[in-house]
Amino acid sequence: MTTINLNGAAPSVDESHVEETGHAPLLEVRDLSVTFHTPRGSVRAVRHASFTVHRGEVLGLVGESGCGKSTVAFATMRYLPTTAEVGGEIRFEGRDLNSMSSAELQSIRGDRIAMVYQDPGSALNPSIRVGLQIEEVLHAHRSMSRQEAQERVAELFESVGLPNPARIGQRYPHELSGGQQQRVVIAMALACEPDLLLMDEPTTGLDVTTEATILDLISELKDRVNAGIIFVSHNLGVIARVADRVAVMYAGQVIEEAPVRDLFSNPSHPYTAGLLSCVPAPVTGDGAVPLLRNIPGSVYPASAPNVDACLFADRCPIVQDICREQAPPEIVGASEGHPARCFFPERVNASIWGDPEPRRRRRREVGGTPLLSVDALHQYYGTDRKKFIFFGPPARRPVRANVDVDFEIGAGRTLGIVGESGSGKSTAARSIAGLERRTSGEVLLEGEPLARDVADRTDDQRAKIRMVFQNPAASLNPQLPIGHALVRSIRQARGLGRREARRNARALLDAVGLGGEYMERRPRELSGGQQQRVALAAAFAADPDLVIADEAVSALDVSVQAQVLNLITARQQREGTAFMFITHDLGVVRYISDDILVMYGGYVVETGPAETVLAPPWSPYTEALLSAAPIPDPDAEPSRIRLEGAVPTLRQPFKGCPFADRCPRNLGDLCDNTPPPMRVDPANEHHKILCHIPLEELAIEQRKAIETREKLVRR
Amino acid sequence: MATATIDQNQPSPLSEAARTGRRFLRSIRRELRYAMATTSGRIGLPLVTFYILLALVGPWLAPYSPTEFHLADRFAGPSTTYFLGTDEFGRDIFSRVLSGATSIIGVSVAGTVLGLLLGTLVGLTMGYVGGKVDEIVMRLMDGLMSFPSLLLALLVLTTLGSSHINIVITIGVVFMPSVARVLRSATLSIKTMEFVQSARIRGEPALYIVFREILPNTMPVLTVEASVRLSYAILLASSLGFLGLGVQPPSSDWGLMISEGRSHIADSPLIVLSPAFAVSTLVIGVNLLAEGLREARELPKED
Amino acid sequence: MARFLVLRLGLIVLTLFVISLAIFAVTEVLPGDVATQILGQGATPENVATLRERLGLNDPWPVRYLGWVGGAIRGDLGESLVQRLPITEMVGPRLFNSMILASFTFFVAIPIAVAVGIWAGVHRNSFGDRVASMTSLAAISLPEFVTGVVLIIIFSTTLGWLPSSSLVEPGTNPLTRPQILVLPALTLTGVMFAYVMRMARANVIEVLETNYVRSAVLKGIPMRSVIWRHVVPNAMLPTISVISLNVGWLLGGLIVVENVFSYPGLGRLLLTSIQTRDMPLLQSLSLLIAAVYAISNLLADLTYTWLNPRIRFA
Repeated sequence: MTTINLNGAAPSVDESHVEETGHAPLLEVRDLSVTFHTPRGSVRAVRHASFTVHRGEVLGLVGESGCGKSTVAFATMRYLPTTAEVGGEIRFEGRDLNSMSSAELQSIRGDRIAMVYQDPGSALNPSIRVGLQIEEVLHAHRSMSRQEAQERVAELFESVGLPNPARIGQRYPHELSGGQQQRVVIAMALACEPDLLLMDEPTTGLDVTTEATILDLISELKDRVNAGIIFVSHNLGVIARVADRVAVMYAGQVIEEAPVRDLFSNPSHPYTAGLLSCVPAPVTGDGAVPLLRNIPGSVYPASAPNVDACLFADRCPIVQDICREQAPPEIVGASEGHPARCFFPERVNASIWGDPEPRRRRRREVGGTPLLSVDALHQYYGTDRKKFIFFGPPARRPVRANVDVDFEIGAGRTLGIVGESGSGKSTAARSIAGLERRTSGEVLLEGEPLARDVADRTDDQRAKIRMVFQNPAASLNPQLPIGHALVRSIRQARGLGRREARRNARALLDAVGLGGEYMERRPRELSGGQQQRVALAAAFAADPDLVIADEAVSALDVSVQAQVLNLITARQQREGTAFMFITHDLGVVRYISDDILVMYGGYVVETGPAETVLAPPWSPYTEALLSAAPIPDPDAEPSRIRLEGAVPTLRQPFKGCPFADRCPRNLGDLCDNTPPPMRVDPANEHHKILCHIPLEELAIEQRKAIETREKLVRR
Repeated sequence: MATATIDQNQPSPLSEAARTGRRFLRSIRRELRYAMATTSGRIGLPLVTFYILLALVGPWLAPYSPTEFHLADRFAGPSTTYFLGTDEFGRDIFSRVLSGATSIIGVSVAGTVLGLLLGTLVGLTMGYVGGKVDEIVMRLMDGLMSFPSLLLALLVLTTLGSSHINIVITIGVVFMPSVARVLRSATLSIKTMEFVQSARIRGEPALYIVFREILPNTMPVLTVEASVRLSYAILLASSLGFLGLGVQPPSSDWGLMISEGRSHIADSPLIVLSPAFAVSTLVIGVNLLAEGLREARELPKED
Repeated sequence: MARFLVLRLGLIVLTLFVISLAIFAVTEVLPGDVATQILGQGATPENVATLRERLGLNDPWPVRYLGWVGGAIRGDLGESLVQRLPITEMVGPRLFNSMILASFTFFVAIPIAVAVGIWAGVHRNSFGDRVASMTSLAAISLPEFVTGVVLIIIFSTTLGWLPSSSLVEPGTNPLTRPQILVLPALTLTGVMFAYVMRMARANVIEVLETNYVRSAVLKGIPMRSVIWRHVVPNAMLPTISVISLNVGWLLGGLIVVENVFSYPGLGRLLLTSIQTRDMPLLQSLSLLIAAVYAISNLLADLTYTWLNPRIRFA
């Protein structure tokens, strides 16, 4: 219902600033507040944000969803709905942006201040060639002939690493991959060599390997262009990789600001410390995984008024009376240049959130029937659609989403399946659950074959496999009370009476930490994390032997993600439930898996016990994936394995190895034209890799690569 | 043992039907309440309610019989005796407009409900079943739609002959394909949602999934579609009346009144203007309500 | 593109085939004997039998159907039962008259409506927008016969500026007396204008809220360019498909409007054929209108495809 303030006529602004004096920083934000007035009350998106950005540095703005970080970015662009009320000041080279006329704003936008957006696909006009979309910026701010503009565009394309820079401008956005689209958007932002660059979650939604190349580009840019950059992200790993300084936001406030190393090694706000301890940490030497801690409760809501207290008080482990009685002053420096909005910054350290308990991976049991075994699973789509609707040859080549997938899950174990979008990992999950009818192959549950369609399976078989999905909001029927799905599930699977089932459902909700009073609530009254916990409870309701979790924590903020992951491990420990955990997040898979399966282009490229998959020899794809994953540690030297090109479309059958055209270790003709063998690791017979290169050779090469990198870091 | 417990707790089909009905009414009421939060809805809903009440009690409010001739008072102007004057046969225009409301609203509402029922049934099943059957049925629906609706209605009515029930059937048939389209696409998008997948994994039967999990979630779409359809139904029914294929004389029909009154426009414009005003405000009301329902979908929801 | 065209043309042929079958079936189950109707109740059974024979009513229905459709393909629609004239000859000038009326709406009113819609969408919630929105809501709520009659009362009965009926002498061209076209054209335009305007407005508003328009604004290009280069082209695509869907509405409106003003077009002829139970004429007219509808839908689809790069290059 909100209208975008297109011409930039000033929203109501406090006119209380004094004329600027002397040497001003590039951008200075003071006491910024943004309130949206809606028919259903006020939403305080930003309550209190202050920070500065200097030329040549990257300020990371980090926080969980709803903390106001993107609103800060758009407020800096003066692009807010007309319902927004803006307070405080935003000074760009000393001039207050809030009091500029629309003509002044227009001349600054795109020229002096430019922006890079999340979801590049939607940020580009679908019906205009990408080259023209950049020329527009040049024509608006520079007097240039058509010819000059085109040359400049090609130059820009070259500088952001797009292939064939002279010609790619002729393409439409949908003809480019996600990573290429984001490069175009970056080129667009760089067109007029802006002084300030705003990047709003520029890699969110991209695949890990693509994200890594975009982050490389951004780190390289920051040295090349003499601009200040604000980099907004929810991902601590990404922030650690690109930022020089970091501002952490919580409930619309900047609660801590520090140089990046300081922040990660010595957080001065309990919330920052909590966030850091929620991120799955790298495995320790002996293979034990530290248990995740989480931040209890939920975020101070944006609809709640400003109060004279610390907004984090209700969730804080070191809270004192004073925290509830007055708001902490803006700057209580733990040290110079490291302000934190906390009364007791010196008391903050990692252990205030409890000491991590190590969790051991389960050892593989020898012998016996596995709980689930999948044999030569193939899943092709689009085979039934004919050229002339009902007859004729197939209209298009089928999509080969799963080709010859084999694996097993032992009782009580967790299999983590990793891969980028289009790797076929979700398809495999849906085939096994019986939501898609597999094209061919066997799926055995405790040795008994499972029907293709879930409707054709026995009640007993259905009760043994349950599934949890990515999108918590869609996992529960918005029209029905929360208890409904639980009660249905219990009655369906265990044949209990209504009253008995309700009692059980309450117990289940208790077990996921929600309490029986949630039975009658509607899904939309719950937060995303709560919804996902209900979805888990519904999956557990049938007492299943196997729960398939398809990206079940991907949509959640880290603090909530930790809660859900802990619920899963707890359930497993108590009931011996096996999990098939599908994710693109390597940190998560590393944390939760006993066994790992890596997929690419519909094929299994590597599989084995977690510790063997996480150490060399790796399949070249696993190696690339691991080196692409952003690590929440500013001192971690990013490894240099980068993938060119995009994930294959799967319509064209692969002649050789599915990974051949992007593989940094491609041997040439052999890899391109001959399907690779599945090699067994002599060190562990369960560890298998799909590759032409002998595993001993792979291991040597990969160890060498790690050593060179470590030497680099030491120097 | 397990089966026995289930049977014991299984509610009777009758009470289940009653509960479904209550839920249905509740969700309609909720959509209307949301619509009342918009300006359009606040004008449209009372207007529509007013006309529906009029349709229910109109015949009892009318001072005269709509077919009663007052030959002495032909073409009388508005007066206390004849509110809006009389027509060429001296029939009271006010009474005729009132009784016309009953027939046009009755016919339109019934036709819309029929069209919605048929369309919902077709759209829901085809959307959920998918595949070849869906393809064939939806092609047929496209065929029906590729025929201007007034022409289709004229053809059907010429064949069946004009009567209340036939007009209702005609409207139902004419509306079925487009309602089916809307419901099918809503079903297609809801079908892929995770809670439906969960229900499938639980082993819920298809009928349960369609009517309990999917149908309630189409309510916002369905109520908007219903109100839009109602306005088309009124336009269609009154146009048919105007063309002489609607409700047959002597019972009064707004379209027919306008058609007949045309020859006397110069003498007594009220004969034409009264039903014209009535039909226009009625359709405006329905359209405002539709607008309100549509806008309400964009507002944030709170219970 | 060629494949698309062939497929679409094939689909049209298929649709028309189904429609022709439907029309034939509907009119054949009609109660009452055509021969008796033509000759009147007093006709002798022998006369009726001869007429039935002459009209081919004794043949089995597939033969009659094929005869009709075969004729239609050759451009011979048979003979009107009532007026005893070749239908093709009767329809020709009527089709021309209807086209004049419809094309005014199509080529004059719709472009203006789109322009007003764009303006209103860009200036959303302004005073002008509110006025346009309210007027258009009222306009789509008025049935054509109400608009027509009200226009007659204002411009004909009261002001006396324009004629209330639009009769055309047989054999003459209505364009020679353009004043008779004004009121029918205005009436026909009303609903379409409002509808198209509302659609254009809604689509403009939707596009204004997209991320790519946000990028365009934040590129610092002038508002004028944002609207004309980014908003309008993308808002036009869905508007065109909506317009094509409403050609059927226009044709329905034509039937009503022609009867309000006694304008000698296809719609008037259609109603006459219904009133006189002239089945061959009714069948042919229905088929003709369906064909016009199908073809205009195809044209709209082609425009849509041509304008949309995503489909064009797919």
